[in-house]
Amino acid sequence: MNVAKTPFNGYSVKFSPFYEDRLAVATAQNFGIIGNGRVHVFSLPPTPTGALTEIVAFDTADGVYDLAWSESHDSLLIAAVADGSVKLFDTNLPPPQNPLRSFQEHTREVHGVDYNPTRRDSFVTASWDDTVKLWSLDRPASIRTFKEHAYCVYSVAWNPRHADVFASASGDCTVRVWDVREPGSTMIIPGHEAEILYCDWNKYDEGLIATSSVDKSVRVWDVRNYRVPVASLNGHGFAVRKVKFSPHHRNLMMSCSYDMTVCMWDFMVEDSLVGRYDHHSEFAIGVDFNVLVEGLVASTGWDQMVFVWQHGTEPRGP
Amino acid sequence: MATESSSPANPPAAGGTPQNSAAEAVQPANGDKQDAAPQNPKSVFVNSEPIREDQVQNAIKFLSHPKVRDSPIFHRRNFLEKKGLTKEEIDEAFRRVPDPSPSAQPTATNQAGQGVTTSTIQPAADAQTPLPMTTVPSGGSPSMVALARSRFHWYHAVVAVGLLTASGVGTAIWVKKSMIPRLKSWIRWVVLEEKHGDGDITNIKPSLAEEAAAAAKSAAAAATDVAKASQEMMISRREEKVNMEKFMELLQMQVTEIRSMGNAIQQLEGRSDKIERTHRVEHGGYNGSIANLKPTYPMGNKPEIDSRSARSSSPPTSADQSAPPYLNSYMEDMNDQPPYASQQISNPRSAPRSKPWDGGYQATTTSRGGGFGSSLNGDRGSDFGAQNNGVSYQVDAQNTVPWWQKKNPRITELDYVEPKPGSNTVAQTNEQPPIQRTWVPPQPPPVVMPEAAEAIRRPKSKKEAAEPVTNQETSGGGSSSTAAVAEVTDELQRITKISESGGEVEETTAHSGGQETNGGLKLSEIEEEPVQSY
Repeated sequence: MNVAKTPFNGYSVKFSPFYEDRLAVATAQNFGIIGNGRVHVFSLPPTPTGALTEIVAFDTADGVYDLAWSESHDSLLIAAVADGSVKLFDTNLPPPQNPLRSFQEHTREVHGVDYNPTRRDSFVTASWDDTVKLWSLDRPASIRTFKEHAYCVYSVAWNPRHADVFASASGDCTVRVWDVREPGSTMIIPGHEAEILYCDWNKYDEGLIATSSVDKSVRVWDVRNYRVPVASLNGHGFAVRKVKFSPHHRNLMMSCSYDMTVCMWDFMVEDSLVGRYDHHSEFAIGVDFNVLVEGLVASTGWDQMVFVWQHGTEPRGP
Repeated sequence: MATESSSPANPPAAGGTPQNSAAEAVQPANGDKQDAAPQNPKSVFVNSEPIREDQVQNAIKFLSHPKVRDSPIFHRRNFLEKKGLTKEEIDEAFRRVPDPSPSAQPTATNQAGQGVTTSTIQPAADAQTPLPMTTVPSGGSPSMVALARSRFHWYHAVVAVGLLTASGVGTAIWVKKSMIPRLKSWIRWVVLEEKHGDGDITNIKPSLAEEAAAAAKSAAAAATDVAKASQEMMISRREEKVNMEKFMELLQMQVTEIRSMGNAIQQLEGRSDKIERTHRVEHGGYNGSIANLKPTYPMGNKPEIDSRSARSSSPPTSADQSAPPYLNSYMEDMNDQPPYASQQISNPRSAPRSKPWDGGYQATTTSRGGGFGSSLNGDRGSDFGAQNNGVSYQVDAQNTVPWWQKKNPRITELDYVEPKPGSNTVAQTNEQPPIQRTWVPPQPPPVVMPEAAEAIRRPKSKKEAAEPVTNQETSGGGSSSTAAVAEVTDELQRITKISESGGEVEETTAHSGGQETNGGLKLSEIEEEPVQSY
């Protein structure tokens, strides 16, 4: 119901964990292939229909592929930039005083970033140089590097219950579960026959993880018994770019795909597809649930649009 | 170690397995009730399956193949991982392959709780002997050879003698049958040749003349063909020249058009902001190549965008100097480095908020992050806490709660202090000092539907109106009981129906919440554990 148009193509959208009316959008020029990038911070208007108002925007030299809000500071944003740098922005400061930090350690594009929601002091980044790096805001360099994947790592996700466990999804068709206390990965899940583009943990069941893949399916795995998926959800016409579990319902998930639709699933039900939104006119690349407001979801895509709506309603307005 | 080296193969494996096996021993039930985990330093999600011997055998066969041995260790590991082997199984296979002798199997005893160690030695030995590729002959094979040698003497001798005689007889027969007739025929051929040798010479001369004539004819024909071909080429060249000239004229026209467009755009640029840069991207980016008036983005062409090849070139920051000229219109040559080398990270203005899945509700810590300014902050407590379709915005007339807040019952719990007289300066108990903001939220809209307001007022009379709420919609309930919240939910349901039906008041009594909106989402109860059923 609330819409905004960004000058660049959208890559990721994230609601703030502090303010229920605030969200950030990562965009990249020319579909992220070459050019600059921009991080927008939007605010939801009080009306159900209306444009998002931009609070601040930060420009980067290369496209921004992902971003994460800090769980410890209400105004800090981490941006994963395509030139391999990880940048820290403060939304309270004007753009000339930003970024606060720029960590340049990855040798290739940084494709994913996730902030630890339980410890709130660290974050991990996933890069196309096959590594995952663990960082802390108060350190100038990464704390650890996890190098086991054989191909690009597309996403990382912290487990919401176990503060030291995270999972990474990679183009080598595996998902690895890591523990920062362990030297290597603790589990390898060969989830799909094709590249796995995203993974996300269930917020209410600590062992369930969802993966989305180029093979157009979304699978839900139980890491306690990972040989067979708990559910395999088909319905997208092309590769599924992101999948997210709802922070309010155990079984509800949302996915976005190159078939330009955003789908809602209930993986415990036989006919799992509970909703489909085709408001985008290009690849739908980013989706997010609002943690503070139940049912509020956002999506962005390469059509340079950002939509925010209540699940169950029409995103483009009544 | 995964941290340092890039080959997580044998050296860390030996260190890893005892550690992992210790972890397995510690956690038999693998992650089910991990609430006791905090005492346990080991990881939560570990493979507790025993090592599958058949998988290890498959892996050993795979790794012993000569082609596989040439590939880097990294690829071999990744292949096995994709096939579903656990780390322990892969490590075990790697450990066994370069050392296949059954005597050298001390590592078999390392398997924690796997048992059947002796059985592993037997299949390992059996697996080796049929393989022709093992570099070191296993300990088993010399014994077999020695065994065979003991019976060598008489049995082998008999067989050898028999074979020799058979081969001798066979060669004799073969020589008789085939060699001798061949010899005879060869002799005959030689004799015949001598007789006919004289007759051949006279036949040669006339054929020479004929051949010469034929050659001359073909040469003439070829010459005519060449002449024709060259003529055609000349004609086609002339035609091409003409076409080229036409083409050039068209191109010139288009160039002039584009130049004029570029000029127009530059004029526009002078007026508007930097969004024009993207327009230039679409229109004026291709100064050189006229053929693409519209740049062809990879739209609709759905390749694997995630492949590396799309961005295989060096990062654009370094490509600025070497980029082709038209790229300058794409990328601003910008410096996005931190302006201050060690800028302090300011302290957070609000405390972290607990997540819905952590259970319970935030008692005291969280505030609403006073980023709003007071007018919107004012009425947090008046959340309806019910699901709706956003239409109910019209209902909270005086109330300026933003439309997206309806679904958050726990906020009512938290921040409801006093009745809301509609003023915007409410004393929030947990509010932090208001923060100066340059953005001022818009004024709340006036009452839209007086009937709705009326309807809202009515249910209040039912409850013991402890709070003197006058003209307000049902706020989050003076009490924090679930019953009140549920009632409020129901009220909101009615109200949304009212507003949807355009003022028609329904007299339905309360019904269970959450069943009518699309998607069938259920309201989350705040006081209880958020165990959602769907």
